Amino acid sequence: MSKKFRWANIYLWFVFILLYLPIFFLIVYSFNSGSVMQGWSGFSLKHYNELFSDTRILEILVNTFLIALLSSLLASIIGTGGALYIYNLKHTLSKNVFLSLNNILLVSPDVIIGASFLILFTVMGFALGFTSVLLSHIAFSIPIVVLMVLPRLQEMNQSLVAAAKDLGANNWQMLSRVILPVISPGILAGFFMAFTYSLDDFAVTFFVTGNGFTTLSVEVYSRARQGVSLEINALSALMFMVSLLLVLAYYVISTRAVRSKKRGTRLVLPATEGL
Amino acid sequence: MTNTSTPIIEFKNVGLSYDDDEILKNIDLELEAGKFYTLLGPSGSGKTTILNIISGQLKVTHGDILFEGNVINDVPVEKRRMNTVFQDYGLFPNMNVFDNVAFGPSIKGLSKKEIKNKVTEMLSLVKLSQYADREITELSGGQRQRVAIARALANDPDVLLLDEPLSALDYKLRKEMQYELREIQQRLGITFVFVTHDQEEALAMSDWIYVMNDGVIQQNGSPEDIYDEPINHFVADFIGESNILDGIMKADYLVHFTGKDFENVDAGMRPNERVEVVLRPEDLDLTTIDNGKLVVTIDDQSFRGDYYEITAIDDDGNEWQVQATNKSKIGERVGLTFDPEDIHIMRFNESENDFDARLERYEDDVDDAKK
Amino acid sequence: MMPKSKKQRQLFYVVPYSIWLILFVFAPLVLLLFQSLTTSNGDFTLHNYAVYFASGTYLKMTFNSVWYAFLITLITLLISYPTAYLLNQLKQKQFWLLLVILPTWINLLLKTYAFVGLLSKTGTVNNFIGLLGIAPQQLLFSDWSFLLVAAYIEIPFMILPIFNSLAEINPRLEQASHDLGANKWQTLRRVILPLSMPGIKAGIQAVFIPSLSLFMITRLIGGNRVITLGTAIEEHFLVTQNWRLGSTIGVILIVAMVIIMILTRDRVRKSSRKRG
Ligand SMILES: Nc1ncnc2c1ncn2[C@@H]1O[C@H](COP(=O)(O)OP(=O)(O)OP(=O)(O)O)[C@@H](O)[C@H]1O
Ligand SMILES: [Mg+2]
Repeated sequence: MSKKFRWANIYLWFVFILLYLPIFFLIVYSFNSGSVMQGWSGFSLKHYNELFSDTRILEILVNTFLIALLSSLLASIIGTGGALYIYNLKHTLSKNVFLSLNNILLVSPDVIIGASFLILFTVMGFALGFTSVLLSHIAFSIPIVVLMVLPRLQEMNQSLVAAAKDLGANNWQMLSRVILPVISPGILAGFFMAFTYSLDDFAVTFFVTGNGFTTLSVEVYSRARQGVSLEINALSALMFMVSLLLVLAYYVISTRAVRSKKRGTRLVLPATEGL
Repeated sequence: MTNTSTPIIEFKNVGLSYDDDEILKNIDLELEAGKFYTLLGPSGSGKTTILNIISGQLKVTHGDILFEGNVINDVPVEKRRMNTVFQDYGLFPNMNVFDNVAFGPSIKGLSKKEIKNKVTEMLSLVKLSQYADREITELSGGQRQRVAIARALANDPDVLLLDEPLSALDYKLRKEMQYELREIQQRLGITFVFVTHDQEEALAMSDWIYVMNDGVIQQNGSPEDIYDEPINHFVADFIGESNILDGIMKADYLVHFTGKDFENVDAGMRPNERVEVVLRPEDLDLTTIDNGKLVVTIDDQSFRGDYYEITAIDDDGNEWQVQATNKSKIGERVGLTFDPEDIHIMRFNESENDFDARLERYEDDVDDAKK
Repeated sequence: MMPKSKKQRQLFYVVPYSIWLILFVFAPLVLLLFQSLTTSNGDFTLHNYAVYFASGTYLKMTFNSVWYAFLITLITLLISYPTAYLLNQLKQKQFWLLLVILPTWINLLLKTYAFVGLLSKTGTVNNFIGLLGIAPQQLLFSDWSFLLVAAYIEIPFMILPIFNSLAEINPRLEQASHDLGANKWQTLRRVILPLSMPGIKAGIQAVFIPSLSLFMITRLIGGNRVITLGTAIEEHFLVTQNWRLGSTIGVILIVAMVIIMILTRDRVRKSSRKRG
């Protein structure tokens, strides 16, 4: 029995080491004083210095976060509206139709999304750049917001709504005082998901970004193809810390949501967006 | 009980703790083959825990479990010749009724034909022959419960463990199932260990009852023993309804309570020992004030179908529960009477062993006196 | 300001959402199909499909793509199922699950980039096997490295749905199975595995479809060869600029995706209703 359990632990350790090896590998080499991810020439922070004096990459970083922030904000608003609309639909059939339509972008491979958006922007005569990337990110984030908000609405206590109506709340009061507070954990979770989707996206952006505009993923891709630079490692280490903070924030929010509701939202992953 | 054959299941000084929480304390059990046993106790008293130790789902902290005289502490669940009907049934939702019942036989590697015969036999035993193809979700609570029994019995266990299997059923179905379970047990002649917190159920079904509280066995005996001779306040209170009063054993066969002396049939205690006196409501009768041993005032009454349940208050302010066949008037003063043998005496902190020993000594005395 | 009637309110909710539906869900798919079915003059043609199905290279590439996606899915499933199963038995399982999810929050390009360093000819893995006396191998740009990295990326997406479906199984059922005489293995095969099937199917969906369309990993790790449908689409759209053929392959990818979704759809269990 205990022997069996030890094997189980060894297996789990193996999987976790596998999962984290590449990440720690990146971080460790960001402190290498040499210039390649091979051998070890000693500890140094020089790649961090390089990174912070590389205005191009800093600018790209700002762009990436700007796109993520704007797209997830707008997607949260539009997606919440969509969720409210679908929730208010009377017929189960139309509800299901809307839900299926909603999920199309979620299940579509990114290459398809990227390629078809590229056709769309070209046909409409839309210049590729910041706006096309922003619109694309909003577009692929909306369905996930809907999916995060809808369960909250469905769990919402109907008698609560009825009671508010009974007390004479008008539509606006109803939304701001009754519905929004109840579904806000869902909206927040949707916002977080959209934010990470956007940060993580590579494929869609790669298709719809023109020559002038780049996000971090696209930049790493083109640099990696030219050869490895440890500046990227320094960046990875910093990004890891940011991700860690985001995960912690999300964890705290979602566990708090779980505690307040017995059947809370599960941790949901960004789908394999950006492969 | 004088039986020389090896018990089918035996607990020797079994204890179980979670961290520092002692859930079971020094449990001793001896179960004979072919009998219907009941573990009776309030919620959280450790009944399920004992069942799980018998079936092997839980390992004990100390003590030994014996099966037909052999220690089985380390025998895994699947190797024990016992099966369980779980508190929530635990039916496999991915299988229909037939496949649920067939699970055990097919694990044993029986042939298709043997399996089919076995399942058919078991389903007819629990009167579900028509339901073999149903999905579990399409069954009522009572039907699920029968499937769980059939599934457990399909393995031909030597011991069937049942964890409050009737608690989810309505009153009528429950009565029916009590009767059927008892019948199944007698037909198959295997040992049943039945868990319940319902004393009526325990009294109606069992050959032998273990009364538990707080991880300790308070008393064990036949339903009649337990009902008539509760060993302590807890058992007297838990089994049936009781009037429990403080008293003093002035001498053998003389007890003092509510300010009066009464003749009784207990003996073997220290003179003037403080005791508790138990009188069952159905042993009490209302009569005229002159004929009564005590005078009480009727405080409340409610009709219970075949009797009136009456609450009366004596002059010391003690409350009495009485079951009377005739209606009374509230506020009326009446006499209360009972026979000497209806007075049951409980000593404080007397263990089961002390109790048995005293009873034996006392019976010997009676025998001697007769000679 | 907020509209008054319920109808107006619905309209207020739905307008931005429908614009999104029309512009970013319908229009792109219609345009993709349109591209694949027209000539540059806008006339209807099946030429692109004819080219695709007549070309041995394309068919072989499609077959390869499906084959690789299958292998990636299989490898991830084989690693993920035991992981999810064992994780589910730990005390702090939500915490450990979070540790599985954490790597997915790290930019995919960065993780892939790490493998470039790990697997290169003078990289860490080669140094390590060098200690065992094995000469440096060309690890990068091989099929194996492609499968390894793709599986690495996909593992959390397989673990999560399986873990969730396992966590939903009433622990009583495992007890009941042992109680009825089944050992650990029989319990796994006959009770746990069937009950966790929805999670397995969800995991297969989450891994197989993206694996068909991988192109970044193919380029960086797989040696810049066009070996998946995803690479082919990227090649036609961004390198050779033959959008019509690219769209055709896109449509074929969508069809493949729909087939997978249908195959892994959760059928209502009624098949056993009629038994002899
Ligand atoms: N895994 C556990 N860890 C800690 N304490 C436990 C655990 N399982 C049970 N207990 C405690 O053990 C005691 C006995 O539990 P058990 O389930 O045996 O009660 P029971 O008599 O079957 O009650 P019920 O009638 O409610 O089913 C309870 O106080 C319970 O809180
Ligand atoms: Mg219990």
